[in-house]
Amino acid sequence: MWLPALFLIIGLCIGILTNVSIPADYINYLSIAVLAALDTLFGGIRAQLEEKFDQSVFVSGFFFNVSLAALLAFLGTQLGIDLYLAAIFAFGVRLFNNLASIRRILLLKYKQRKDAV
Amino acid sequence: MKKRIPEQAFMLSFICLLIGFMVAILFNSNNHPEGRDTRDTWEIRTALLEEQQVQQDLYQEIRKEEEMLNEYQEQSEHQQMEAIKESIETLRTEAGLSEKSGTGVEISLLPLFLNQEKQAYPTLHAEFLHQLINQLNAAGAEDIAIENQRLIAISPIRMVNGSIYVNNSSIGDLPYIIHVLAEDVEKLKLQLESSEIHDYFALEDVEIEISEPQPVTLPPYDEVIDLQEIHTQDNLEKDEE
Repeated sequence: MWLPALFLIIGLCIGILTNVSIPADYINYLSIAVLAALDTLFGGIRAQLEEKFDQSVFVSGFFFNVSLAALLAFLGTQLGIDLYLAAIFAFGVRLFNNLASIRRILLLKYKQRKDAV
Repeated sequence: MKKRIPEQAFMLSFICLLIGFMVAILFNSNNHPEGRDTRDTWEIRTALLEEQQVQQDLYQEIRKEEEMLNEYQEQSEHQQMEAIKESIETLRTEAGLSEKSGTGVEISLLPLFLNQEKQAYPTLHAEFLHQLINQLNAAGAEDIAIENQRLIAISPIRMVNGSIYVNNSSIGDLPYIIHVLAEDVEKLKLQLESSEIHDYFALEDVEIEISEPQPVTLPPYDEVIDLQEIHTQDNLEKDEE
């Protein structure tokens, strides 16, 4: 559990220290990709807690969601429809659902442990 | 079992690394909008000098206004009336509502005939007059009259049905006479003569002729100034509140 967290921090450090920045035009795509990535991450944590985590689902979900989200945003820009808003909405709702599930599972586990004691 | 966990952890970690990297890039991109200040000390010093000059001018203006206020307060009623009348006259002159004389130049816009047989009579577009007025203002012109139409701060120059309207009245066809008053007439004349605006006008078959500095009298602006849609900044702010 600590290894992914460590790598998350390493990734943050690399990103900040290398001072890479992308053109303002592409920020939309990246932000939606980040949202998709976070959604997948929280989905993974939830699945882990529910003990039905599948690595292949997680990995494929990560890459598929991220690229699909960026593609959707790109398509929306080309068509003049704010499709990225739809993606932000969908991912946002899922993110909160996942967070709610995680919280509920943790609470349940805490209660169970308390009852056992 | 023991063999699977490191592999799984590795994949997870890799994805976390990617996520962290993406978030950091997004953070970086959103935090670098302002450009770097690349001026060297000399440039900054010059800019500072300019600002100081502006400040000094403002102080001088304040002092002038305060002196005027003092004058008003110290004078008797009759003198106050005189002073106010004087101020009004000054303001009218500044606004272009009274006749103004001085040293200036006469600029003639004449049709330029290069090929007399095949050429139509040249016409000028209002944009060219705008350009010329801008050039004159940049060269230090103080007051301008086009075909005896005095230009004030809100004078329109428009194209209506193919002819130029200044102050909402037509100035007819070429040639046009423009009278210009300036503090340093010689400089204005030299600047205008060396300007490339001659070439632009020549393309429209119009020649610009500038007279020697001479005494010039500008007519007053003779229409009503419509200030209905003009508000001071303070009023605007109050309205918005």
